[in-house]
Amino acid sequence: MTVTTEQGGGLVDTDLSADLAAAALDLARKFHDGATLWVISPQWEPHAHHVAVEFVHPVIMGKRALPSVALVDPDPVAQARVATQPGDLLLAVASADEPAVVEAMRRASAWGALTLWIGCGSRPPAGAANHILWVDSDDPMVPATGRFVLMYHLLWELTHVCFEHAGLLQAAVEDCTDEVCVTCSDEGRLGEVISAPADPHGQALIRTAHGEEFVDVTVLGEVAPNDLVLVHAGTAIARLDDSAEEVDR
Amino acid sequence: MTALGPKGVESTGFLYPFIDAEETDATSLLDDLAASARGKASESARLQRESLDEYEPVLIAAGIEMADRFLRGGRLYTLGNGGSSTDAATLASLFSRPARGRAVAAWSLAADEAVVTALGNDVGFDLIFKRQIIAHARDRDIAVALSTSGNSEDLMAAITEANRRGLLTIGFSGHDGGRMAVAEDLDHCFTVHSQSIHRIQESHAVLGYRLWSVAQEHMSRPRNGAHNS
Repeated sequence: MTVTTEQGGGLVDTDLSADLAAAALDLARKFHDGATLWVISPQWEPHAHHVAVEFVHPVIMGKRALPSVALVDPDPVAQARVATQPGDLLLAVASADEPAVVEAMRRASAWGALTLWIGCGSRPPAGAANHILWVDSDDPMVPATGRFVLMYHLLWELTHVCFEHAGLLQAAVEDCTDEVCVTCSDEGRLGEVISAPADPHGQALIRTAHGEEFVDVTVLGEVAPNDLVLVHAGTAIARLDDSAEEVDR
Repeated sequence: MTALGPKGVESTGFLYPFIDAEETDATSLLDDLAASARGKASESARLQRESLDEYEPVLIAAGIEMADRFLRGGRLYTLGNGGSSTDAATLASLFSRPARGRAVAAWSLAADEAVVTALGNDVGFDLIFKRQIIAHARDRDIAVALSTSGNSEDLMAAITEANRRGLLTIGFSGHDGGRMAVAEDLDHCFTVHSQSIHRIQESHAVLGYRLWSVAQEHMSRPRNGAHNS
């Protein structure tokens, strides 16, 4: 079995190049607004470190240093939870079935993070991350062949091109507001419980993409820290089960 | 066919400068970015193919030498700075934790921050790898150093020490090869001929993967005397 890819230099096809372009523009806009890029790669830690050093210490003189940190603790979800603030970026280099990354990506909208997911093999479901940058190959050796390195190198290179277009950085992605965002008004916003109510009829402190707020959780009964809930009009209206299935108990 | 497109945009852009600046440019930037990504990827693929072709006989020889050392209980140390230290770590885990094939002992000498900062602080950054080679190395071991310039002092000091101690020494370099290309302490040097650090690192990965493949193939062969010829 030969290992080299020989499809006319086709490491990046048209679809992937468009995905990379869109991701880079979002990345540049978020950095422009003060984001930090958090990187997790539980299966392949060195990739997380490579992304971070790429942004922090550019190999091309004169390119600005950007804040990026590899999160490589044994529990990357806990580490990302405490690190991430609304407006930040969360990038994973992982297969679609890596449990910690599935979990982090699921929670990222409650943390207010824009997400990017680099990987290979079966794709994550559509919408699992804001940007899915994928190598469509089932070869388990892909992570060691430089394909991911190429991917985040390109992401870095394109992001810095965007900085040369200051006008387009201002046209930032429109943030959801409760009143106008169809997703928010119909479905509720994803929230993560920070602390349960002090008394049975009190309010829980919950973080959403907008920050922290006190929310009525009486509909749900007891809630515990890190529970995922849907918040609508100051009330938690549903609980998302831990097992990634949406089950009401 | 593309000649007419920009022309048309130009003429309408002249009539509607505001629209052109606020709307069309985001699209055209995205198109430019996508085209740039494909161009850089093609260049990366070309460089990878050329590097593999140029060094195929040496990659086979070096991979077999590595396999022989692994079969004698040798272990692999990988070395690099910055992004290359992460590529060194990826290479080490390819050998020690492969998705398929036989796992062998390998680790990156930049991986332990206690050791790296202790040595950097106490004896100087240039010696962070050399001192570890002195501590760890046996004559059946292997050292692989990755540097896009081929000039890193900490790597060169470690390579000299490794060579002195009988290790198999392999260098991955870039640009014109730098000091690595002319170092007598290196048994094999793979120079990726490019001016781009990014493209060099991508080729380093594929060259490292080829070394691993050769070593795996050689280690899986039957080894009783009858098969040696």
